[in-house]
Order: sequence, then C-alpha cells, then structure tokens
Amino acid sequence: MMKTFLVARREFVTTVFTKGFLLGVLMTPVMIVMVVGAISLTQLLKGPTVTGNIAVIDQTPGGAVGPRVLERFSTERIEKERADRAAAVGKLAEEQAQKLGVAGPQTQAAGRFATAALDNELAKLKALSVTVLPPGTDVEEQKKLLGEVDVRGQRDVPGKGVGTIAVAIVPEGALSPGESGAYSRFELLTANRLDTEITSEIERRVGQAIVDARVAADPRFAAGGLGVQELRRLLDAPDAKVGAVTAGGGVKKSAGVFQFMLPMAFMLLLMMSVMTGGNYLLTTTIEEKSSRVMEVLLSAVSPLELMVGKILGQMCVGLVILVVYSGMGIASLFAFALQHQLDPMMLVYLVVFFLIAFTTIASMMAAVGSAVNELREAQSLMTPLMLLIMLPWLLWMPISRAPNSMFATILSFVPGVNPFVMMLRLSGSEPPPAWQPPVAILVGLVTVVVCAWGASKVFRVGVLMYGKPPNFRTLLRWIRMA
Amino acid sequence: MDGPARGAPTLVDPMTDAIQIAQLRKTFGDKTAVNDLSLAVPSGSLCGFIGPNGAGKTTTIRMIMSIIFPDSGSLSVLGRPSAVESKDRIGYLPEERGVYKKMRVGAFLTYMARLKGVDGAAAKRRSADWLEKVGLGREGKKRCDELSKGMQQKVQFIAAVIHEPDLLILDEVFSGLDPVNRRLMRSLIDEQHRAGRTIVFSTHAMYEAEQLCDRVFMIHQGVKVLDDTIGGIRARFDPRTIVAEPEEMRGVDPDSLRALPGVRSVEVGTSELTVRVDDRTPPYRVLAALAGAAAMRRVELKRVSLEDVFIGLVTDHDDAGALRQELRRTDEAEALQGAAS
Repeated sequence: MMKTFLVARREFVTTVFTKGFLLGVLMTPVMIVMVVGAISLTQLLKGPTVTGNIAVIDQTPGGAVGPRVLERFSTERIEKERADRAAAVGKLAEEQAQKLGVAGPQTQAAGRFATAALDNELAKLKALSVTVLPPGTDVEEQKKLLGEVDVRGQRDVPGKGVGTIAVAIVPEGALSPGESGAYSRFELLTANRLDTEITSEIERRVGQAIVDARVAADPRFAAGGLGVQELRRLLDAPDAKVGAVTAGGGVKKSAGVFQFMLPMAFMLLLMMSVMTGGNYLLTTTIEEKSSRVMEVLLSAVSPLELMVGKILGQMCVGLVILVVYSGMGIASLFAFALQHQLDPMMLVYLVVFFLIAFTTIASMMAAVGSAVNELREAQSLMTPLMLLIMLPWLLWMPISRAPNSMFATILSFVPGVNPFVMMLRLSGSEPPPAWQPPVAILVGLVTVVVCAWGASKVFRVGVLMYGKPPNFRTLLRWIRMA
Repeated sequence: MDGPARGAPTLVDPMTDAIQIAQLRKTFGDKTAVNDLSLAVPSGSLCGFIGPNGAGKTTTIRMIMSIIFPDSGSLSVLGRPSAVESKDRIGYLPEERGVYKKMRVGAFLTYMARLKGVDGAAAKRRSADWLEKVGLGREGKKRCDELSKGMQQKVQFIAAVIHEPDLLILDEVFSGLDPVNRRLMRSLIDEQHRAGRTIVFSTHAMYEAEQLCDRVFMIHQGVKVLDDTIGGIRARFDPRTIVAEPEEMRGVDPDSLRALPGVRSVEVGTSELTVRVDDRTPPYRVLAALAGAAAMRRVELKRVSLEDVFIGLVTDHDDAGALRQELRRTDEAEALQGAAS
C-alpha cells in the first residue's frame, strides 16, 4: 500500500512539476484569452481606406433610387448610425454591469473598445463618394473605365480626382413587380481587386435604398401612412423567452445556446482530463521500459503495485486538469451571472464518470505501454484505443439533439463510451430517467474491473518483454497465460 | 526421484540456506530456459552463478525474485516461499538496469530506498553517504543522464544495497565497468560479504568468480553442470598436468622423460614441455623427478581455472544426456570422497 502510494506520488510529481505540464495546462487558457484578445484587437486596426466613386445608373422611373443611395453614403447618415450603435452598445454594457454588480472601468473600457471598432468600420465608408448617372448612360463605357481603374492606386491620394470603383445599375423593374410578381435584381460591377468588405457594404446600402424607394413608391403604404421604419419594425420576427417548466411548476429560464454548449463543455472536460493523464501514463511506462529502470523497480515493487501506483498518480494529474478547467468554467459562469444554469450534481457526476473513464482508458494505456519498447511501436496498438476515445466526438451531435433516443440510451450502457455519453445526456436539457445513471455507473465499474484485470496480466508479462512489439493476438495470449 | 541423488552438494536446510531451489523449470514457448534446476545458497556465502550468455542465469534470478514464475518446481528465499514476501530484505541489481534519466541522482536513490521500506530521513541520509563513499558526492544534484555509464553503474549498485538487505543478488555486475571501477566494485562486494550478507552474483567472466566466490554454480543450457566450493572444484578437477621449461630445449630427451615413473605422456613445444601424470601417481613425485631429469628454468603444476573447467564441461557435452552422465559421474565421485573423509 505504502509502495503504491510512493509510486503514485512520484508519478504525479514528476509529471506535474515540469515546465511542459505547467506551460501546457496553465498556459492554454491564457493562450485562449490572448488569441481572443488578438482577434478583437484586429478590429481596431485601421484597414486601408479606399477612396473612390460609386456610380449609380438609375433606370427606375423618376430616378427614385439614386438620391436614396446618395443619402445612405452621406456623412450625416454615417454619423447617425455610429451614434445609434454606440448607444446600443453602451446600454448592453450597463445591463451586464448591473447583473454582475460591477461597474466602472471594465464596462467603460468595453464600451470604448466597441465604439472604436465601429469608427474604424465606418471611416472606410466616409472616403467613398456617390454620383448618380442618367439612365441613358452607356454601360459599356462605364465598364471600360472600371477595367482601367487601379483600386490600390486610389489609396491615400485624396483629391487626385477620384476614379469610379463601382457601378450599380438599377433596372426599371427594380421598384415595381413584373408580370411574374418578382422585382428585378440590380447589377453591381466593381473594379478588379476591390475589397469584399467594401463590395458587400455597397451592395447592402444600394439594396436598402431600393427597398426604401419601393415602399415610398407603393401607393398602398402611402395610403395607410406606413413608412419604411414602421414596416421594418412590423416585419422583425421577435425572439421568444424560452423556459422549461420544472416538476415543481417553476420555470427554468433557458439560455438557448448555453443549453447546447454545456453538455459539450462537460464532455470536453472529461475527454481532456482523461486523455492527458492517459497519455502521460503511456509515455512514462514506455520510458521506464526503454530506460531499463523497470526491472530495478520490480526488485522493490510488484508489477501490480507499480501499475496501480502509476494509474493513481496519473489519475491525480487528470483531476488537476479537471479541477483547473472546470474551475475556470465555473468562474466564468459566475462572471456572466449564469451559475443557476449549473446543477451542482453535475459536478459530482463529472468526477464519478471521470474516475470510471480514466481508469478504463488508463488501464489499457498501461497495458499498451508495458508491451512496447518505444512510443513509435505503440501506434498500431493505440489505434483502436484512439477510436474509442474519438467515438464520443462523432456521437456528440446525434446525442445532444435527441438525448433520450433509443440510440443514446443504448450507448449509455456500452462499455468504454458510456461515461462520455451519460455525461452528455445528464448535462443536456432533458435528463435521462432516474434509473439510467446508476446503471451506467454500474456498467462502468464492471468495465473498470475487467480492464484493470486484463491490463495487470498484460503488464506483468509485458514489462520485461523486449524485442519485437506484440500484436493484439499476443496480448490476448498474455492475458490467458499469466 | 533423482533430486537427492543429484542434490548431494545441495544442502537442504531452511535455517542456513538463503535460497533454495528444487527442480525448477521454466519454458518460453518451445524453448526451455531452465530445466530441472536445484541448488542451495548457504547464508553468508558469496556465490558465483556462472554460465555463458543464454544459459538461463537471468531467468533463474528473475524466478528467485518472483518477477517471473516457474512452470514447476519449488523455491524458497530467506525462508519464505516467495521473494514477494521478503522483497525489502533482498537487494537486486538486474542485468537490464537503468535509471530515471530525468531524475536527480540523489532523488532517485532516495526514492528507491523508500520503495524498499527505508523511511524518508534515513533514505536521504543513506543516499548522500553512499554517493560520498563511491566518489560521487558532488553528483547528487545532477540528473541521472548527465552521469557516465560507469557512474550510473555505481548508482545502480547503491540502489541495490541502500536498504541494507540480507541477500544481495547481482546480475552481471561487472559488465560495462572499466578496470578501476571493477576493482572498486569488487571491494564493495567484498565489504558487503564481510558485513555478513549473502551474495549471489552472476557472470560469464569466470575469473571474477574465481577471485571473489567461495562457491560456484555453473549452468549451461538451463541445466546445472557444476555446484561446488572453489576448493572443491580445485580438488575435483585435480590437476595432473605439469609445465616444464628447460634451460635449453636441445639438451632434453623427451623419451627419457616418458620413461619416468608416473608419466603418461610428454608433449614438446617450442620452449615448454607439457607432461601429463597418470592417475595413480601423486603429481609432486613427477615434479621432483622432472626437476632432476634436466636443467629446468621452471617446473610447475598447471592450476586449473574455472574457465578450463567450464569449457571442459560444456564443449564436450552439448546434449542433455551426456551432461546427465557427467553429472552422475561427478556426483558419484563426490559421494566416494564424502565416504572416504
């Protein structure tokens, strides 16, 4: 018992207190934050400003579209949009701050950040001018001009007489439906190599101008006093306040995307902690074998003590990862005032299923590690094991969509994958019937016993076996023989 | 039962034998690694376990250590049926030995001592003392893979003895050591022996065994071919060959030497004569006669080395049947000797 503990302690200490582990495990979240931060920062980067003219050939009767496009690109309009959106962002930040019970610098900083990003986006549009051309303008002539203009050359040379970088041709039928009942589409020609961001912004704004013109031209709306703004509000489909009624009659607020994310987070946590510990176990076992320290160890401990000690040590490594990451997860839940979404019982299940999944996979890892001489040779034996571990990935979608389907229920009792599947189902919005988790745990425990028993047999033979790496048939023979 | 008949040199006494093995057998697939092996290692003795590579030494030692288990036969280590129960009283230096490469030397030794039941403080102290003793006092903080191979060997030896075991089993302890470290290792083994520990060490280098052991087991193709004390072996393989180096070869008449009483044959070399003595005459008589027969620079009885014995035993008897015959013959001789004394 003491020896097993000593082996476990060494295994844990030599794994955790290494630069690789500390950097890998603790830096990963820091890296994630940094990457997210870096992506956000690119929003602040000033993109190259394209200076140029947008020509609108308005062929609609009365030329109702041209002026509207002009208005959509006007400085006043852009300033107003900026003010509206900045106000919306500010309101959102304030709401969040109230929820969290914090105020001040962070939210202000977030607000400033958002408006700065907004400024960048809109600044590009300010450099664009709009000219409305008469309906009879020669399109071919315009195309020729577009083909000659150098978009890059327009950059940063304001006042040099801007060239046309885009031509929007709004056809006659754009405002009134034809015989088929459909409105004609408009055509947008751009200079070669014009940024897609600008192209889509032009497309959006011209499109909006056309809709505005349609509504204004339609006598039915005019008669009812219905403007474009009112119409937009009318057509905006509302979001539902989704809630699930619990047994007591209370309503549990659903967090939408969150409901979907939580099971995935749980499964990821489980996988990551199991895999990390399991992989370390594989490498340390192979290392002990290849450095020939194995037999020296066996002079002091029995193969079983060694294997159990190693599995326990790496189990603690897995638990460290589980605690660090779930701790961060829980902390962020609190940060976003979503802690009510998390049932504390889930954490208990998480630990239970971790212990089951880890011991099952670690036993197999120990067996594989003991049977080979170097990591390279482990590949062929690892393939089925990796498949077993990857399986929950493939099953994640079908199970989280229908957590109580026959398929999901059966998988909850299939040895090897059942801890992952059960964790997915338990953390989902529709928990499985009460009898299922205990049965799944029982199946898991039986799996653990069988795997550990088989692994101990392979381990005992394997640790002193050098030379040709065995295949599965050999491993089975070792189990029978030992 | 042929155990007792063959087991004449094997003392069966659980109180005084550190290791007892009876009819041990182990096969790997269709290869028999150890075949019907019986032997006893008396407590306090320093035994050499010798045989060529692949003879079954390591397999036997692993069975003694309960690292692998015999197919049949019985085994007792320090009075217990299995080494598992007395692991902490045994020091084992395996042939396949290594260290944790990334671990610090001191930490590795402390860990090994703790695994063998030494408590924390004592383990630390002993590892420091031992490192000092073998001249690695300053290497304790280094990582194991920074040490030379010879240094690693010393560290491994310390790992085997740090818990002050009653029984020390050293598998191929001298392999990979330079002459200086060989000498150091010999003195360390000798010191352990003088401290009253039972030591078994295996080697294929016969002269090491000759210099150190008081008892030798020889094994060939899984079968024991010799089991005796060094003195016993010398007596048994009674030397009857005399080497004579005359002052001048030309002045010697081989035929007149052949006519001396007790001389069986004379071989003439470039500078030496090899004279074989017949079985009835004590060699000293022939020695004296030879010294008087011509002007001799040197006349001596050729001493039998373990290597000669070993080569003699294993090269002529490659099949098991011949080996058994040989064993029976030597056993009978032993029995006769025992009856005479």
